[in-house]
Amino acid sequence: MDYLKRRAFLKAGFLSSAVIVMNGCSVFVITTSRDTIKVLQNDLFPKAKELGINTADYIGIVLKHSHISQEDKEYLKNGVKWLNESAVEMYKKQYTKLLAHERQEVLKSFAQESWGSSWLDTILRYTFEASFGDPIYGSNNNKAGWKWLEFTGGEPRPKKVYL
Amino acid sequence: MYDVCIIGSGAGGSPIAYELSNAGFNVVVLEKGKNYKEEDFSKDELAVSRRDMFTPPLKEQKHIINEYSQSGKFVRYDGEESGWNFWNGSMVGGSSNIMSGYFHRMKPKDFKLLSSYGEVKGANVIDWCISYDELEPYYDKVEKVVGVSGKIVKHKFAEPRSTPDLPYPMLETNGVTDWFDKACKDLKFTAIPTPRAVLSQNALGRYGCYYSNFCGSYGCASGAKGSARAALLQKCDAEIITDAFVYKLDSKDGKITRAYYYTKHGIKHIINAKIFVLSAQAIESSRLLLNSKNEEFPNGMANSSGELGKNLVFSAGGSGSGRFIFEELTKEQQKALMQPGLFFNRSLQDWYDYDDGCRTYKGGTIDFLFEHQNLISRVNREMYDEEGNLLWGEKLADKIHKTLTTSRVLTFEVFNDWLPTDNCNVSVDDEAKDKWGVPVGVINLNSHPQDLEVGEHLAKKAVEVLEGMGAVEIDYSISASPPPNLVAGGCRFGDNPKTSVLDKNCKAHDLENLYVTDASFMPTGGSVPYTWTIYANSFRVADVIKDKLKASKH
Ligand SMILES: Cc1cc2nc3c(=O)[nH]c(=O)nc-3n(C[C@H](O)[C@H](O)[C@H](O)COP(=O)(O)OP(=O)(O)OC[C@H]3O[C@@H](n4cnc5c(N)ncnc54)[C@H](O)[C@@H]3O)c2cc1C
Ligand code: SF4
Repeated sequence: MDYLKRRAFLKAGFLSSAVIVMNGCSVFVITTSRDTIKVLQNDLFPKAKELGINTADYIGIVLKHSHISQEDKEYLKNGVKWLNESAVEMYKKQYTKLLAHERQEVLKSFAQESWGSSWLDTILRYTFEASFGDPIYGSNNNKAGWKWLEFTGGEPRPKKVYL
Repeated sequence: MYDVCIIGSGAGGSPIAYELSNAGFNVVVLEKGKNYKEEDFSKDELAVSRRDMFTPPLKEQKHIINEYSQSGKFVRYDGEESGWNFWNGSMVGGSSNIMSGYFHRMKPKDFKLLSSYGEVKGANVIDWCISYDELEPYYDKVEKVVGVSGKIVKHKFAEPRSTPDLPYPMLETNGVTDWFDKACKDLKFTAIPTPRAVLSQNALGRYGCYYSNFCGSYGCASGAKGSARAALLQKCDAEIITDAFVYKLDSKDGKITRAYYYTKHGIKHIINAKIFVLSAQAIESSRLLLNSKNEEFPNGMANSSGELGKNLVFSAGGSGSGRFIFEELTKEQQKALMQPGLFFNRSLQDWYDYDDGCRTYKGGTIDFLFEHQNLISRVNREMYDEEGNLLWGEKLADKIHKTLTTSRVLTFEVFNDWLPTDNCNVSVDDEAKDKWGVPVGVINLNSHPQDLEVGEHLAKKAVEVLEGMGAVEIDYSISASPPPNLVAGGCRFGDNPKTSVLDKNCKAHDLENLYVTDASFMPTGGSVPYTWTIYANSFRVADVIKDKLKASKH
């Protein structure tokens, strides 16, 4: 149902041309996803940056993970497209080029749609994985996320990452 | 040729491996997963709980799930597409590596459900072909060999025991258990310290529990948890072949002749043995037999009765919780509440059966435990406000911080009988195959309305306790959704070869040398988690096989 609504929305072609340009070369798309997600993560959970946690690099781990399905990875990338479409629709600019308060407006409107809100939910989950997973994965800066929540972790800690 | 070939190395298979190899027989265990040892386990939430490192990816191995409604219609789910995952733990020692080890024995009346409570319309309730008394010595053996800790408290439904108490003292508990005990006393409920398959001190060549804070879902790095691997497989010299997915058994003249397995790269191997023991966990054991059709058994191995795969059961019930918040606690209470590591370990069995004025119902067990410590999961639960709107920014951060640092959740789990019904069973799919090209198991799911009524009754009692303790945000959910880790049935045992797959000793009626020793044999599940019973029954069958092999040597 929501999916169909989404399809109708896409078909209506709200400045989909901008997205097609971005889609032209797959390498470019990945860097673009990265940029968008980086800005977005900071809009959704600014605490991470404050704690010195690099949540954006963690998305790189997610996109390569052997235990995350191809569909889930595609979904992450598709959402970047949807979010940018909303940004372009509202302000004629890509998400990353907007001012902070404009991005908040985009998020509010985007989160109204259930497909938008479930994609943000997914981004938040990965952001929390980066912030509160074991520091061995490289993002939870010196246990900063754990310390913030007064969490002691469990022993033994992993000796290697599981990818 | 091996004396015994065991398929699946979990709680059902390992007691056989332990007993038979320690008695000098030549035993091989085929296990499709990897071998992890104490030093390989860590508390990596990302790997264990977010990326499911101990279970196969659904794109390689899945189930088809048909969910039946009361009207008999069903909806088909593809496990891969829906993410509905019925795998538990695929490794040497099976799911017992990652269980929490809340251990309860079944009670005498659980063995006689039909004669104790009468028929239930729409349910295939029967009595077991053995009694509690026959299994009691083996429950006792599990206490000593696998290791069960706790303290026996007398109560109305306490089962008879051959020893006064458990062999290992109680694990340490959090101060909040005092609040629980007091609330129960006020309500005239009997608080029971939950027996645990966890060593509270160094014993049996294993270390005692160091209260790692991450028990259920995680492997144990000390060996304290009574996993089939730590307690049994590492204490015997049975040969274990890992990366061995058994996809077929073959038979001739009423005897299993060989087991076929694939490695993960699809290389085929054959094993010959005098006796075969199947223990791949309830659903997979039925699947393997159904997939092992041959001329002798055109409807599946050991299936002359047509009963193979039938009467699958789970543990019915559900779970609930209440939250303790700093605002309502003294400084001292706050400190007790947040103390990490120590267990809660309390259960109630006051309503193991109960009367509603018209008739006596079979009730069940309620276990209380702290909310799992998994941090990412707890943070994830804070993403929405009370109206269900997604939060972000500072508001979200504040909510997370406040909830996680100034409150803690006590949860409860209800275990009652999942009544066996015609529409709850295992079959194999005509189309869907796993990565080896082997037809996947179909799980037909159906629950009986009485399961929910009983669950509700028990959950309300648990709520009374949480209220008495001063918890807020009390909530529960009793549902027909099956817990994938608590599954039994599919190869009922019984005296009549026309209505059961296995005989009293869990040997297939149809075959001289095939035993099934996971929970598949159970005609009804009892109102407790199953693992103590699985272990005990497997030790019982081990004695039978031992006698048989000894006799054949003479
Ligand atoms: C998170 C969690 C918590 C739990 N907590 C409790 C608890 O508190 N109390 C309790 O009583 N129980 C608990 N359990 C349940 C308990 O783990 C199981 O009841 C028990 O392990 C079942 O034993 P089994 O031998 O039937 O299956 P398993 O222990 O799962 O072993 C089956 C083994 O067979 C292997 N296998 C499957 N198919 C094949 C094949 N075709 N070829 C070769 N190998 C195969 C699997 O890889 C697996 O290793 C819990 C389970 C989980 C997952
Ligand atoms: S050390 Fe104790 S708490 Fe930790 S996994 Fe082992 S048995 Fe469970």
